[in-house]
Formats: sequence, structure tokens, C-alpha cells
Amino acid sequence: MSKSISQSDEAPPPSKKTKMASDLTLGATHNQILEQRKSLKKQIHSLPRDQKSKVLSHFHGSERTDMSKQRLRNLREDDKHQDTSNMSDIQRHTLDKRKRRQNPALQRQMHRRETKRLQNAVAAADAEEILHTHTTGLVEVETDMERTLQLTQQQLKNDHLQEGVARNIFDLELKEYSPYKLRYDRSGRFSLLAGAAGHVSIIDQHSLALTSEFFVNETVRDACFLHNGSMMAVAQEKNVFVYDDKGVEIHRMDGHRRVMGMEFLPYHWLLATIGHSGQLQYQDTSTGALVSQHRTKMGPCGVIRQNPFNSVVHLGHTNGTVTLWSPSSSEYLVKLLCHKGSPVTSLAMDRSGRYMVTGGGDSKVKVWDLRMYKEVHSYNTYGGAPTCVDISQTGILGIGHGCHTTFWRPEALRLKMKEPYMKHQLSGKGVESLRFRPFEDVCGIGHTMGISSIVIPGSGEPNLDSMEHFTNPYMDNKQRREAEVRSLLEKLSPEMIALDPDAIGSVEESNLIQRRQRMRDVAEEADARKVEEMEALKNKKEKKRMRGRSKIAKKLARKHKNIIDDNMLKLKELREKEKAEREAERAGVGGDGDSDADDETPSALKRFF
Amino acid sequence: MKVKALARPQSTTSRSSLHDLRPTHKNLNPQSHPQARAREYTRAVTAAKLDRMFASPFVGELKGGHVDAVSSLAICRTNLCPVVTGAVDGTVRIWDLQNRRMVASLDGAHSRNVSGIVFGNGIDGQFYSCGEEGIIKAWSIYPKGQYITADVDDEDKKPRARKGNLKSSQDDDAESPHGPLNVYRLPSARNSSFANAFHSIDHHWSESQFATASSDAAVHLWDPERSTPITSFNNLWGSDDTVTTVRYNPAERDLIAHCSSDRGIGLHDTRTASALQKTIMGMKSNCLEWNPMEPYMFVVGNEDYNAYTFDMRKLSRPTTIFKGHVGAVMSVGWSPTGTEFVTGSYDKTIRIFSTRKEGGTASHGGYGSNGTARDIYHTKRMQRIFCVGYTLDHKYILSGSDDTNIRMWKARSSEKIGQLSAREESSLQYRQALVQKYAHLPEVKRIHKARRVPKFIKKETEQAMVQKEKRR
Repeated sequence: MSKSISQSDEAPPPSKKTKMASDLTLGATHNQILEQRKSLKKQIHSLPRDQKSKVLSHFHGSERTDMSKQRLRNLREDDKHQDTSNMSDIQRHTLDKRKRRQNPALQRQMHRRETKRLQNAVAAADAEEILHTHTTGLVEVETDMERTLQLTQQQLKNDHLQEGVARNIFDLELKEYSPYKLRYDRSGRFSLLAGAAGHVSIIDQHSLALTSEFFVNETVRDACFLHNGSMMAVAQEKNVFVYDDKGVEIHRMDGHRRVMGMEFLPYHWLLATIGHSGQLQYQDTSTGALVSQHRTKMGPCGVIRQNPFNSVVHLGHTNGTVTLWSPSSSEYLVKLLCHKGSPVTSLAMDRSGRYMVTGGGDSKVKVWDLRMYKEVHSYNTYGGAPTCVDISQTGILGIGHGCHTTFWRPEALRLKMKEPYMKHQLSGKGVESLRFRPFEDVCGIGHTMGISSIVIPGSGEPNLDSMEHFTNPYMDNKQRREAEVRSLLEKLSPEMIALDPDAIGSVEESNLIQRRQRMRDVAEEADARKVEEMEALKNKKEKKRMRGRSKIAKKLARKHKNIIDDNMLKLKELREKEKAEREAERAGVGGDGDSDADDETPSALKRFF
Repeated sequence: MKVKALARPQSTTSRSSLHDLRPTHKNLNPQSHPQARAREYTRAVTAAKLDRMFASPFVGELKGGHVDAVSSLAICRTNLCPVVTGAVDGTVRIWDLQNRRMVASLDGAHSRNVSGIVFGNGIDGQFYSCGEEGIIKAWSIYPKGQYITADVDDEDKKPRARKGNLKSSQDDDAESPHGPLNVYRLPSARNSSFANAFHSIDHHWSESQFATASSDAAVHLWDPERSTPITSFNNLWGSDDTVTTVRYNPAERDLIAHCSSDRGIGLHDTRTASALQKTIMGMKSNCLEWNPMEPYMFVVGNEDYNAYTFDMRKLSRPTTIFKGHVGAVMSVGWSPTGTEFVTGSYDKTIRIFSTRKEGGTASHGGYGSNGTARDIYHTKRMQRIFCVGYTLDHKYILSGSDDTNIRMWKARSSEKIGQLSAREESSLQYRQALVQKYAHLPEVKRIHKARRVPKFIKKETEQAMVQKEKRR
């Protein structure tokens, strides 16, 4: 039993909670609901910390409630400052009504909904205890003298682990094609090994058998699985190639030149690549279309990671900045100076999308809060600058630096920890890449002498979800085929990638100035269109006009003459003024002696007279 | 040192034999489901698309149809299958809905347009037709009234008839075996060559009694056993105008609603000789039907292209105006659930209106509806529609039109006919819930509401919009 379960024993027994959940019936009065909401809140408040955070995470879901509240506030502000001059009576009346009273029916409904959500959250947290049959792995010290840091892989293998788990600790010596990059597919079933000298192979992690292996005879800079373990993209010397799990070349992507880093966005079926040219390209792997390409204008780049929370791509640049990108915007969404004066060597985001970890050439690993874009704290690495970082599903932070790998507890993101959770030394081997295997307590390391696999207890998500496509490591062919169709049906469009993934379906954030500007834009556009239409109409008429002695043409011309507008009036006035002046001049001709000289002077000099 | 690492026993990950179900897992942690809302929204868009892809409302026509325009249609009140139609040429035909075929054609039932047909409330299959030549005839859907004889006298001899099956009669009698069982005439018609035309007929919901509306501006109540009316209400509501429609209230035994050609709608208590309430509309109402489940509500189809629902307690204003047609509404029919009704119009389309808010539960007398059609049906060949109706199981709609055909439509266009498996049903329900949840978003809304309509309808609708904007 894990710690969290033992703690939850102190909480009120689940039966009581379940009773509470069934209490809310359709016929409950508002007062009853309010009472219930109050008691639910009190109950949640009194829960132990772990349990409480669980319930609250269910209550909020992935929603950012503060944001939606802000939106509501803005809408109310808008109502206050509405321009009522152009409104119809009915519109004005409804606005007045809305302003004047707090809508009690709506409030009641909202209270009812909130109560229901609270109940559901409590129920879901209860259900988790039943549904989540597995608990996370852990290493616990039994005496004060022990430290988890002291635990070596050899000890784990010999003394602590079952045979089935212990076989995940192994080293593969592959000097010839090293250094190696290592990636897992989303289910953690297959691992992809890419040797820089042109060796690509897939290993089935269940049987530890080689599924396929081939040599491309040129430099391999990066490799990654596409939607599942049956397809992969390999960034080679010039182009990116797509291979299937047998090593058959399916496609060569010419548009992606000298790619150094790749990332596959599983929900959008997009392959994001970046390379020497500093161009970030998104290619749809289901339709084959190039969705968008952005010039980062920050030179060659090979550090690319996606934020699993919102699918925004993060790039780490050589000037120490990190930029955030989405396919729909040609400019970066956010730019952060993470490591002043030294390149960003590695990047990782945690599953909740709150924390980003960057490793820099300044031998520092910094933790960033992605809600505020501020540094939380940093860790120093000893024995080499960090070359790779990764955050496991449970939040364990793994860092590869020099020939060392260091692992920090999940709390290390939130708080500054004094000492790491575990570490593993690869003597004489430079760590090239480090990845946690999903759904297992395993970490794979690619280095200059081959690859290593180690066990980090507590790093994998213990509970699978069969409905989440391609994350079930035990799926058979039939399930895989069905998952392929279903996930294609649910493919998200690239425009949906934004910093706030819940923006869709919510109320648009509104701000008065922006809204006024937008109204103005619309009005201007309409005016412009009107003018254009008029022009088009005129042109059309002109085109039809027969040249020659057409009566219609004359009629039109006459009509045109009759149109009196501002311009015409002005011209008329001017003409009359000139006429009057001329007449006045003529009248005074006899007496004025200068008139002859006046006539002789060139027109350009006339103003001096 | 205490160490625990993840190890999943094989029993929880894979099935032991091919006949077993695959083990499934559920992780409720929201972090395991990133971008859940965007994905759900995409599923909703797909669901809306699927719904439109599966939409094929036309089931088929009743084979053969009429020779002339179909002017009236009656659906049996007690049995699912029988339907009777009358045509402009005076023919009445009996149909079997199950096989979509004709059971009998009563040629020359009337010498002029069959203006109304109605079923009796018994299980004996009697129905009444009235014609514009001033005659009402009683018929039975069972040849020679076999249903009654079989049921009462000799049960063993005619088992098929006892089941109430419609039997096609190839009888050698010159007279049709279906009747007429009785002929009714107004007394005035007996004495003179001039006869008042009948415009509408309706049968009482519980008693053996029927009512007619005729061009002498009178409503007559008839007893099937008597050849003359038992009561006549002449000069109803102080107006000489023709009463075009008359309908009994399903719940109140003595309440009658009527439409007349002076643009009025009125209520009348048959126990008294005076009117209860009357309201005058802008234009003439063509048809009126009581809501079968909320019998204080009724709907009228008007010449001004709209349908109006009224609360009988307050006729001064309609509860909802149902807009959308671009021709006069010729006929309306309530669904047996009372939550929606179908209209047939002179613009050659059928529209289905829901009196409830989409996905809502309470009807509130039609207040929740937005007054626009839920669906619109049309075909290239269908002409002006004179009669529509729901079948008793709330699954199909029948329409009779000027092109002599009687068409059968699904009430919900994308519904699958036949049994649904449990998985089909649950996925269907999930899809519906998704569409409902995201119905306010433009993409889903657009797909969900999109209907291809004939060019004529589209143009007319646009024009009507422009006119409305102008008036504003």
C-alpha cells in the first residue's frame, strides 16, 4: 500500500461520501442545495492534503477557473460601458434588465451545477480508489541512516526487484554507431534507437527482442515514432524519412532539410521539425500536407519539445532563449530568456503543463512556472553541463550531465530540494539522451557507447486507460487498427493549438478597447465594401456604355451632371469666386498702373506681385 | 530500504483465451487526458456530421397512390396499420401501412372532393368520409364488417379476421364489401337539389358521435345511428361565414374548436348554444389540431405561412408562432407524444416543429421552442401538400399531396429503422449528447442545422428575411 492510501484511511469512510453524492435529487430546493454545497466544501476542506488535491483536480478538471472568472468579469464590464445609441428598444431593455438585477434563476442554476460538480469530484476521487488498481512505485528509507541516493542499480537488480522488472536493467554496447538517441512510443511498448552513424532499430520492451534493425549509411540526427510503434520518422543527413516497423522506407520528406530535432503531436497528427535553417515546420502525417512553416530567425536549433498539456512546441535556442510556437501563428507566442549567455541544451515539460525545465550550457537546470513565465528555482549540475532532461509521467525529473544521470523527486519542481532522489553513473560514457518509459518505472539512456536502461521506482503512471488511443502497451492488432481509425476521426485541427487548450467552447475573453476597435474595424470594412461596390457598379455601367452617339450615354452623363454633392458644391463656389474676382479686376483695369507689368511677369513669379 | 516498482500481472493486462473479453482500464486523472475539451469538441463536430450523413428521411410511397390529388388522410386511432385517404376525384382508399400497399379502393365513394375522413374511436375499424357534394358515408376497413361478426359471433371460423388483420377483398359483390354501411345527408339536401358542401369531419374521442362543418355556416353533430344530425349549430358565433375545420377536444367531452373563413378560430361548448371564445387572425386558418398530450393546447395552420399554437384559456395571443414555410400551411398533425407537430404546406415542403427547447424536458405550452423547424422534408416530385399525419408509434410521418402520391417519412431523419444493438444505442446516445452540448458553437450549429432546400424555397426565404429587416 502506498502512502496516499494509508493517509486516506483517516478521511471519512467512502460510504458516507457516496451517501452524500446520492442526496442531490432533481426535486431539491435551492436552500437544500446551498446547504449541501456548504457541507461538501467543508468536507473537502477537512480531507488530508493528498486526498484534497485529488478531489480538487477532479473538480477543476483541466480547466483554469481563474481565467473563466476573468472572462465573466470582463463581460460584465462590457455591459456597463455599452454604447446604446445604435441599439433597438428591445436590445436596450434587455441590457437594462441584465444590468439591474442579478439573475436569480441563473444563479440558482449555477449553484446547482457547482454542487453537482463538487459531488462528482468527490465521487470520482472515491471511484479512483476502486478503479486505480495499481499504485506508483516507491523507494522508502527505513532508518535515518539510509538515503535513497545510495541505492544503485546493481543493488536494485540483485536485492529488491522481481525478475520481470529487474530485466529492465541492462546495458547495450554499440560503440560503432554511437552516440545514440533513444525514444519510446506513447504506450512505452517500443523503443527506438537511433545511432548517429546511421543505425536505426526498434526494440520490443516486453520481450526485449529486436523488432527491426537497419542501417541508413548516413548521419542520423534524430528519430521519433509517429502515432504508434508501427511508423517512425528519421532525420537523416539531408531529409527526413518515414519508415515502417520493418524498416521499409515509406516516404521521403523533401521539404524538411537538415533537420536536427523532431516532435510528433499525437492528437493533431503533426510532425514538427526544426534544423540548421531554423525553420519550424509542421507536417500533417495523415494527409501529408505541410501545415505551416515558421522562420524562427534564431539560427540552427535542435532542442524541441512539445508541451503535453496544450501541444505548444517549445524550442530552445543557442542564445539561451526558449520560444513557444503554434502552427497558426507565424510569430512565437512567448519568448523567455532562460540561460543568459549560454545555449539551451535541453527542455522538458511536465504533464500538467505547469512546469518547464531547461538545461543550459551554464551547468544549470532551471525550473520555470509556465503560468507566469517565471523562474521557480534552479539546480546546478556537477560533472558536466546538462545535455538532456526529461520529466516522467509522475513528475520525476531526470537530468543527464556528462557521464552522470540524476533524478529528482516530483516535489523538486515545486520546491527547491536539497538532494536528488536517485542517481546513476555511466563511467566514461557521455549521456546523449534520456527518456522515461511511459507506464513503467524505467528510464532509457542513450550515450556515446550505446544505450542503458535503468529502473527508477515511481516514475511511471501505474494506471492505464484503454480509451486513450495508443497508450495501452498491451493492445493487440485489432485494437490497434480500431484505435487508428478512431484517433483519425478525432484528429484535432492545427488551429486548435493555443496556450489555453480549453479556450474552445468557452466565452470569448472580451475587453472594452479591443471590442470597440473590432466594431470600428467592422464598420470601416463595411464602408470600404460599400465604396468598392459603388465603384464596381460605376465601372460596370461604363463598360456597357456604347461609344458614339448613344442616347443612353448622353442621358447618363446628364444625370451625372445633375448629381449635387459636396465636391460639386465646392467647385461651384470656387468657380463663382473666381468669376467675381475676374469681374472686379476688369472693373478696376483703367486706374491700375501695374497691370501691364503684371501681365508680363512669368506665372511662377506672379505671387510676388 | 523498501522498494516497490511497477509490475503488472499478466492477468490484468491480457486475456487468457480468445473468447474472453479484453481487459479494460480506466484512469480518471484529468492529466491522463490532455486537451479533453478540444477532443470532445472534435467528436461533437464528427457526430453532427454523421447525423447529417445518415439522414435519409424518405421511406417510400404507398404503392400505387391515387388517381387524383390526395385531399384528406385519416390514421386509425386504435391500430397501427390502417390508414384511409380520400382524393379530389371522390375516391377513398384503404391502406395497410405495414406493407405499404392498398387494401381496397372505394371508387366513386363520393361524387366530388372528399373533404374529410375520420376514424371512429372503436376497434371495429369504422370510418366516416364526407364529400363536397353534401354526403357523409360510414365505412369499415374490414370487408363486410367482418371484425365485429368474428369477434362477437363465431370466433373459430374466422381467426384471421379476429386478429384484426386487414384483408384484401376480391369480392364479387358489385357494392364494395367495405360499405357504405350508412349514408348521412342534411335534411335540407333531401328536399332540394341544392346541397351544402361538407368541409370537415371529426369523431368524438370517447362517445359514438361525430361532427361536421358545412358551407351553410353550421356545425352539425351526428349520431351514427341516425341519418339526420342530432344537433345543429347554425349561424355560429354570429357570423355567416363557412366553418372550414371542426375538431373535438380529446379530453373535454363537450368542447369543439373550429376555424372559419372569416379568419376566426373559436371554441364552442356543445351543451350550450353559445360560443365560448373567439379570436380573429390576420388571415384564414386552414387547419386545427388539438395536442393529444396537453389537450389545452392546439395548433392552427394559417394562410400567412405560419403555424400558431394557442392555449385555449387565452386565445388573445398565440403561445408560439412557428415560422419558416413560404406557402400557406394546409395541414398539421401532432405527434402522439405531443412534443412536436408536422406541417404540410402549399410550398411543397413538410416541416417538423418541436414545441420544446432542443434537448429540454418541459414543454411549458410551447414557450421553450424557438419557433423554427427542426427539420424540413421535400422531394423533387412532391407537389403541394394537402394532408399530413404522424403514425401512432411516433416514428413515421405520412403526407398526401397534389401529385396523387401518399409518402411515408421517418419522423427523425437520421434514425435507423429496426432494432439497435446495445452498443449502437449507447454510441448514438453519446453522439446526440455531444451535439447537444456543443450545439451553440458555430461549426456544430452550422452542420446540425444545415438543410438543402429547393431553390424556390431558398429564394423566397431570403426575400422574406429582407422584407422583415426592412420592416424593422
